[in-house]
Amino acid sequence: MGIKKSLLAMGIATSMAMTALVGCGSQEAAPADATPAADTGAKETSAASDSAQSDAAVDADAARAAIDARKAEAEKSGEYQKVVVSFFDWTGAPAGLERVNEEISKHTRETLGLDVELLIIDSAAYTEDIKLMLSSGEQVDLFSTCGPGYMTCVNNGYTADLEENGLLDTYGSELKAMIRPEYLDACRVDGVLHGVPPIKDYAIQTATILIGTEYLEGAGVDLTKFSKDDLGYYKATWDDVDEMFAAIHAAFPDKTVYSTQDNLLTQGSCVDNIAGDYYGTLLDPSNSLEIKNVYESDLFKEWAERAYKWNQAGYISGDAMSDKTGASARIKSGSYMAMMSQAKPAYQNQINGECGRDMTIFDVGESFMSSSAVSAFPWCMNQATEDPIAAMQVLNALYTDPVVANLACWGQEGVEYVVNSDTSIKWPDGINADNSEYYPNVLWLMPNQYAAHVWEGDPVDVGEQTAAFNDECPVKSKALGFTWDNSEYVAEYTALQNAYEEFGPQVVYGFTDPETGLKQLNDALYAAGLEEYMNAKQAALTEWAEANGIK
Amino acid sequence: MALPGLVYLFINNYMPLPGLVLAFKKYNAKKGIFGSDFVGLKNFKYLFTTKDAYIITRNTICYNVVFIIVNTILAIFVAILLAEMTSRMKKVYQCLILLPYMISMVIVSYLVYGFLSTDNGFLNNTLLPLLGKEPVNWYMEKKYWPFLLTFVNAWKVVGYNSIIYISTILGIDRGIYESAQIDGASKWMQVRKITIPLLKPTVIMLTLLAIGRIFYSDFGLFYQVPQNQGALFAVTNTIDTYVYRGLLELGNMSMASAAGLYQSMVGFVLILGANFLVRRIDKDSALF
Repeated sequence: MGIKKSLLAMGIATSMAMTALVGCGSQEAAPADATPAADTGAKETSAASDSAQSDAAVDADAARAAIDARKAEAEKSGEYQKVVVSFFDWTGAPAGLERVNEEISKHTRETLGLDVELLIIDSAAYTEDIKLMLSSGEQVDLFSTCGPGYMTCVNNGYTADLEENGLLDTYGSELKAMIRPEYLDACRVDGVLHGVPPIKDYAIQTATILIGTEYLEGAGVDLTKFSKDDLGYYKATWDDVDEMFAAIHAAFPDKTVYSTQDNLLTQGSCVDNIAGDYYGTLLDPSNSLEIKNVYESDLFKEWAERAYKWNQAGYISGDAMSDKTGASARIKSGSYMAMMSQAKPAYQNQINGECGRDMTIFDVGESFMSSSAVSAFPWCMNQATEDPIAAMQVLNALYTDPVVANLACWGQEGVEYVVNSDTSIKWPDGINADNSEYYPNVLWLMPNQYAAHVWEGDPVDVGEQTAAFNDECPVKSKALGFTWDNSEYVAEYTALQNAYEEFGPQVVYGFTDPETGLKQLNDALYAAGLEEYMNAKQAALTEWAEANGIK
Repeated sequence: MALPGLVYLFINNYMPLPGLVLAFKKYNAKKGIFGSDFVGLKNFKYLFTTKDAYIITRNTICYNVVFIIVNTILAIFVAILLAEMTSRMKKVYQCLILLPYMISMVIVSYLVYGFLSTDNGFLNNTLLPLLGKEPVNWYMEKKYWPFLLTFVNAWKVVGYNSIIYISTILGIDRGIYESAQIDGASKWMQVRKITIPLLKPTVIMLTLLAIGRIFYSDFGLFYQVPQNQGALFAVTNTIDTYVYRGLLELGNMSMASAAGLYQSMVGFVLILGANFLVRRIDKDSALF
């Protein structure tokens, strides 16, 4: 009996069991207790669409009216409507999250007439969890697409149109004023705004070499010969880097010189990974919109040769390809000395923290803003959200209300941080990153980190510095804002992804001679359908460029 | 008494069945599972059009066939040894041999890594120098992996599989052995002529069950244990790892469902076929 039972059961794939169960939920969940909120919501929305064309005063009135309606509703029922905001951190829900949520809600009950719940999920689980919540009808109103990816969320239909019925204009006008139209446009997919970008550094300082200061001193490297760049980091060439690597290798033979990661292209070059992958790229993104295969380019070859040379010289661990530890965590462990990364204004504090020691920053590459820099992980609204107006007003507050931003970014004043006289903040006595009850440490994905305090040691005007860094970036991709839905080419994409993983990492980590390694990689990619994939990308890009008047 | 099991089975295995339709649709959360647009067989295309289709199908099937054979032989071997054992250590052995089954594949992968790591591994640092051999770059050399994976798999599951055989052996009437002993049969003869023939129905049943899953591979074994090393793909890439690598970024539920449906359909056909064959040869041993 038992056997036959399990036999019957075998025809069913477990993966489907998950998705299908989830699907059942989404069919019924919506109507349950939505009625009061949905009613007011509908009223406001139609009111909003009438006033969409009119002036700001009317918009403000509409926003005011929505807040008053919610407050009146709360007075009647004794309970405030709740908006759930989800994003990830590195360690799961912080111990003090409930307290922080209560503090935020205390404030927003006054200002917005609702409760706010931050739902913070461990980075390792966030991608799966948020997808399940979005397809199961569980309440999550606003979410960061850092994790599942913006285009994945849009393609799966998880996201709401933020401009439907003038939603953004009417209820998020202050937020809209903070983000430049071109950055908003960069997040549009087929003209529809599915998300708003976090305010941050969109440009990156590529190919930054970081070496532990103690190792440089130990090897007697003279830093005075280097000049400094605009961000205050040492300017160096690859020859300088080779020299320094040789010096620290000789001085510390027991330690591994270079902590590798597969970031040659993402952080080490100005190649534009158009539409989110490197199968067909813009090699010269500020001048040309011609899609080319980066793995055949001189640039990649140069990197491959460099990695091979370093590997041959013994700078790279023999376990580099199987060791999944993060590059900075390895340096923190004390057995690695240098890594390559990307820099930005006020990077020193961040990287010192990550590596657990003082790091010296060498700027070798250029500063670059890729086509997807702005739209990498915008904040989105769940398409199934019961009250889009309330959600938009909370989003607006996350960008503009310092009280909300501070609580979300840093926790409660006096408990998680204390304010210095120059408005920067620091740990209270006895509190640090390890025992703080609220320290998500993900400023870069928060809607607007600059609405909150600046941590001690970073310049207090880091917001302005970052804006300038974005503006003055010399290599800005012409395709800024181009997005492409590859769902017609998923068969090719899947094959390409497998082909890259088979032959790519060996080249990137310098384990195969570039002569043979690059040929293997490219042969595999072309066999997997690279040509077709690139042609499709090119066609979409050309069409987009024409539609947007970009030459 | 079977009620909780049946309820569980219904909730977990029957209720999701309508969701299979997802494999033929382009899923969109706004439209829901049943409202999404039909796209025919498009979601299945990626499983067949790739040049890797042959490799991943071959690896999946061949490994499973080898696993079925090796694990069955080893499990019976272990079961007979344990069943014959009378010492008080028997319980200890039984526990020890079952232990690997309880360990998560991710942890197994690090145990293996402890042995095989190029710079710090036990083999390269201790064992091979002792034998006067050169260190081997284990994670770059694919020729070792068919054996390594078979070994790791056997180490992990044999203890668990042997339990079923032990219980069958313990259920065999002791009187048969006693009369064989009186007739002068040696221990080996008893095993060969009594134990193994009486185990046959159990072997057939377990093998049939395994055949139903022959298109699935143990994801942890093929992804985690070789540390997702590209150089080893020719011998470690299976249907599950291929799908995972491709869909990790896309998060496409329809394509994942298509892969699952494909695997279970093939398994279903194979199990019907295998059962049919068994019934032709030995009617009593067939499952249905």
